[in-house]
Amino acid sequence: MTINKTWGFSPLAALGSKEQQSRNLAFALDARTKLFLALAANGMIFTAPLVYSLLMVAVASILLLLEGKWKFVCTFFFVYLSAGFFFGQVKNLDIGTSGTIILASLFLMYRIMPACAVLYYVITTTKVNEFLACMSRMHILNKVTIPLIVMIRFFPTVYDEARAIGNAMRMRGIRLFSLRTIKNPVAFLEYRLVPLLVSITKIGDELSIAAVTRGLSTETKRTCVADIGFRWVDFVVWAYCIAVIVMFLYRS
Amino acid sequence: MSNTRITGKKSSNTLVRDLVNVGIFGALYLVLSGLGASIGFIPAFIVVSTCAVSLVTSVPLFLFFSKVERPLLCCVLLCTLFGVVMVFSGHGISYGLLCVMYGVLAGFCLKLFHKNFVGCLFANVMISFVPSSMMIPLWASTEEYLAYCSSVCDSAYIAHLAELSSSYWPLIGLFGFGTAGAVVGGFIARRVMKRHFERIGLAK
Amino acid sequence: MNISLKNISFSYTDSLDDAILKNLNLEIRSGECVVLAGESGCGKTTISKLINGLIPHYHSGTMDGDVLLGDKNTADMTLAEISRVVGSVFQNPRSQFFNIDTDCELAFGCENLGMDPEEIKQRVENVVQEFHLEHLLGRSIFNLSGGEKQKIACASVSATGPEIFVLDEPSANLDLKTIEDLKEIVSRWKKAGKTVVIVEHRLYYLRDVVDRICYVKDGQIAYEWTLAELEAKGPAYASSLGLRCMNLEMLNAACHSVNRHPRSETEGIHYFSCSQLRRDHQPRDVIASKAKQSIIFSNLTFSYHHKHPILDIDCLELPCGQITALIGHNGAGKSTLAQVLCGLQGSWRQKRAARKCGTYLIMQDVNHQLFTESVLDEVLLGMKPQDEKLALEILEGLNLKQYADNHPMALSGGQKQRVAIGSGISSGCDVVVFDEPTSGLDYRQMLAVSATLKKLAASGKTLLVITHDPEFILNSCQSVIRMEHGKIVEQYPLSGNENQLIKMMTGKL
Repeated sequence: MTINKTWGFSPLAALGSKEQQSRNLAFALDARTKLFLALAANGMIFTAPLVYSLLMVAVASILLLLEGKWKFVCTFFFVYLSAGFFFGQVKNLDIGTSGTIILASLFLMYRIMPACAVLYYVITTTKVNEFLACMSRMHILNKVTIPLIVMIRFFPTVYDEARAIGNAMRMRGIRLFSLRTIKNPVAFLEYRLVPLLVSITKIGDELSIAAVTRGLSTETKRTCVADIGFRWVDFVVWAYCIAVIVMFLYRS
Repeated sequence: MSNTRITGKKSSNTLVRDLVNVGIFGALYLVLSGLGASIGFIPAFIVVSTCAVSLVTSVPLFLFFSKVERPLLCCVLLCTLFGVVMVFSGHGISYGLLCVMYGVLAGFCLKLFHKNFVGCLFANVMISFVPSSMMIPLWASTEEYLAYCSSVCDSAYIAHLAELSSSYWPLIGLFGFGTAGAVVGGFIARRVMKRHFERIGLAK
Repeated sequence: MNISLKNISFSYTDSLDDAILKNLNLEIRSGECVVLAGESGCGKTTISKLINGLIPHYHSGTMDGDVLLGDKNTADMTLAEISRVVGSVFQNPRSQFFNIDTDCELAFGCENLGMDPEEIKQRVENVVQEFHLEHLLGRSIFNLSGGEKQKIACASVSATGPEIFVLDEPSANLDLKTIEDLKEIVSRWKKAGKTVVIVEHRLYYLRDVVDRICYVKDGQIAYEWTLAELEAKGPAYASSLGLRCMNLEMLNAACHSVNRHPRSETEGIHYFSCSQLRRDHQPRDVIASKAKQSIIFSNLTFSYHHKHPILDIDCLELPCGQITALIGHNGAGKSTLAQVLCGLQGSWRQKRAARKCGTYLIMQDVNHQLFTESVLDEVLLGMKPQDEKLALEILEGLNLKQYADNHPMALSGGQKQRVAIGSGISSGCDVVVFDEPTSGLDYRQMLAVSATLKKLAASGKTLLVITHDPEFILNSCQSVIRMEHGKIVEQYPLSGNENQLIKMMTGKL
C-alpha cells in the first residue's frame, strides 16, 4: 500500500507519487546547486516580503516543469492561489478570536507552501548517490551524510507505520477524541508510540544490516555512477538566486 | 577453548548501525517535536508547547540512548541534524550551532553517567533545550524575530508575541516548562522502558 | 569459492552455555547450491549470518571456531571486504533498500566498493538485461510490489559480482508467480558457477537447482540429503520435519492422504460464542440470511482515481462459519478489499457499515496491532464492558492462558497472531479477515495457524483469508474466491476443485 493519498504538496507524497519519472537529464541540477537553491529560497520565503518568495516559487516551478512534474505544479498553483485568494477575502473581515485559528492556519499554509514546493523539488529529484557524492566533494563527513539520508528515506516509512497502527487502533475503538483518552492520556501515548517504536527500530536494524552486507562503511571511499559537476543550468540558477538575494539586501 | 571470543565489538561496522539509528530517530524526533510544537499555534499555549514537545519525545529519546554505542557522537549528530533542518527552514546559523552545543552537552551527560537513568535524564533535559531555544531571538533581537514571524503568522499572533517579548518571564517559562516536561517525560520513559522495551528485549 | 565452517559454537549472550549453534561443521564446495532447512529458532539463519560475516562483525555474542571463505578467515576480514565475496538477500523486501529509487539501488553495492563509474554502468546494464528489469528502472521503491523489490535486491547484489550468494527466506513474502522468477534467478547464478546458500522451508521451487539439503536441528546439522533421497522418504517424513511440500502438483494427493482429517475441532465452540459479545443489530446493507447461511456484503468499491477503480465489487457472499480463501496476483486488490471490509478505507458510509457488522482484520505484520503490556490487557482493551473472566476464557480457547501476563510483543510470531485474534474476538466481531497469515511459516507453524482458524470457524465465525499458500488452502479452507483487477472472477467450493486451484495458482491454466 503506497502513500499516494496525501496532498500533492507534501514532500511525503513526492516519494510515493505513482507516475513514473521521465527525467530530462539536460536540466538536472547539481546537488550543491539544489541545496543552495533550497537555502536561498527558504531564506527569502521566511524573511523577505511576498514578492521574493514568489520569485523563488517561480524558479522552483520552472525546474519542476522541466522535470516533467506538470501535475504537481498545477495542483500547487491551484491550491496556493485559492488559499491566497481566501486569505485576501477573509483578512479584512472581523471574525473575532474564534476565526483567528482558521485564519492563522490558512496564512501558514499560504506562506509555508512555497517552501514545500522548493523542498519537493530538491527531495524528489536528488538521487541518494548524487547527494552522497556532492557531500563528499564538499568534505562533509560520511558520519553526517549517512544519517541525513536515512532520515529523509525514513519519513515515508514513519508515515506508513503510523498509519497502519492508527488503522489497528481504530478497529479496536481507541481514538484521540474519546473519554478513554481524556481519562488517561499517557496510556494513549503508549498505545501510539510503543508499537511505532518497536516496528521502526526493527526496520532500522534490518536496514543497517542490509547496508553493511552491501559494503557501506565509513572507511572505504565511495564512487558514484552519476556524473556530478556544474553545468550552465547550475550557473543560471546560482546567478538568479544571488541576484534575488542582492536585490533584497539592497532594497532593505 | 582457546578460541572463544566476543563478537560484535565496537568497530566501523557497528558505527554504520549507530548512524542508521541516528537517522531513524532523527526522523522520528522531527515528526514528534513538530506535532508537539503545533499546540503553540494557539497563542495561550506558546509557553507550554516546549513541555508538550519534551513529553512526547522523551520515550523515543530514551530508547535512542539505550540503543546507541557511541553516545557522544550520536547525540551530537542527532542535534546537528535537527539544527540543519531548522537552518534550512529559515532559522539562523547561530541556532544551528546552539543545537550542536546542546548535543555535545547531552553526549557528555551520557558519558559521565554511563547511560544510567540519571545520565539519560540529564541528556533528555539537555536535548529539551533544543526546541526551547528556538524562540530565544524573540528576546535577543525582538524586531527581527517579529519581522520573521510576520511572514509566517497573522497579526493577532504577532501582537501576542510582542506582548511576550516585553518581559523575560516567558523565556524562563519556556525553558522551565521544557525542563519540567523532560523530567516528567523521563520518568514516564523509564516506566515505559521497563514495562515494554526491556520485556520485549529491545533495550537492556 | 569453498565455504567451511569449523567447530562453530555461537550464542547471542555472553556465555556459550545457551549456544544456538553447538560445535557445528559444514563444508560447502564451490558452485554448490545448498538449502538450509529446519524449524524456526533452530539456528539456520545464524549459519547464514556466519557466512556473510554479520557474525562476528555485527551481532554481539560469543563465538568459538572459524569460518573460512576460500582460504581466508572471516574474522580477519572487514565486512566491506566480505561483501565483495558474499552477496546477501534478506527476507523482508520492505527494509533492505537504502535508496529511494531503483537505479541507485542497483549501483549501490558497486559504489560502496569504490568501483570505477564506467565499470559500474556496464555491470548495472548487464544485470538489467540478465534479470529483465527494464520496466523497473527509474521507479521509486515505495511503489514496487514485494516481488519486484526482491528482484531488485537480487539484481543489485548480483551486480557486485560476488562468488557466494546467501539468501535468507527470500520467498517468504512472495506469491507463486514471483517465486517462479526467483527460481530463475537462482538457477542463473548456479549456471554461472556461483555458490548459493538458501535458508528456506519451501523446497518445491528449488527442485531443479538444489544439490544438497541440510537439516539443522538443535544447533547442528542433523541430516543431509540430496533432493532424490528426501523425496524417496515420502512427503509424510518431510512434513514431520516441518518442511513444506516439495512438489505442488503432488500436493493434492499428499494433502488428501495425510492431512485431510474430518473436522473434529468442536471443543472451541463455547469459548467464542459468548452471548455477551454477540451483536444483535444488523445494518441495512449487510443481511445475514439464515436460509442461505451466508453473509452478504454489497457495494464494495474503492478508487484513488475515478477512471481506475482499485476495487469494484457489487456483492460479496461469504458462507457463514466457514473459511474462505481469497486468492489472486499481487495488485489484484485483495488487501484493499480487506481494508474496505474492515472499515479502514473507503467512504464514511462503507466505514459505518463495517463498524456495525463487526469485521476485524488480522494484519500481515501483527506487531501493528499489539498495544498493551500484557496479553490479558490486550484482550480486555477492546471489550465493553471489561470482563476478566471472559477474557481468560478467550485466551484459554487460543492456548494462551499461560502467557496472560507476558508482553505480547515478546511472544513468538504465531502466538502474537493468536493474541491479535483474541483481541478481535473480544471486540465482538463476527467476520475475521486475515492478511497472509502463513507467510514465511514452516509446515508445523502453518498447521498450528490452520488449527486455530478451523477452531474459530467451528465456533461460528466467518473467516476470509488472503493467501498465496496452496498448501494452507487445501488444509483448511472450504471455498475459494479469486480476484483479478479489483473484481471477483470466480468463487467455488474447494472440494472437487482442488486440481483447478493448484493449476490456477501455479499459473499452468
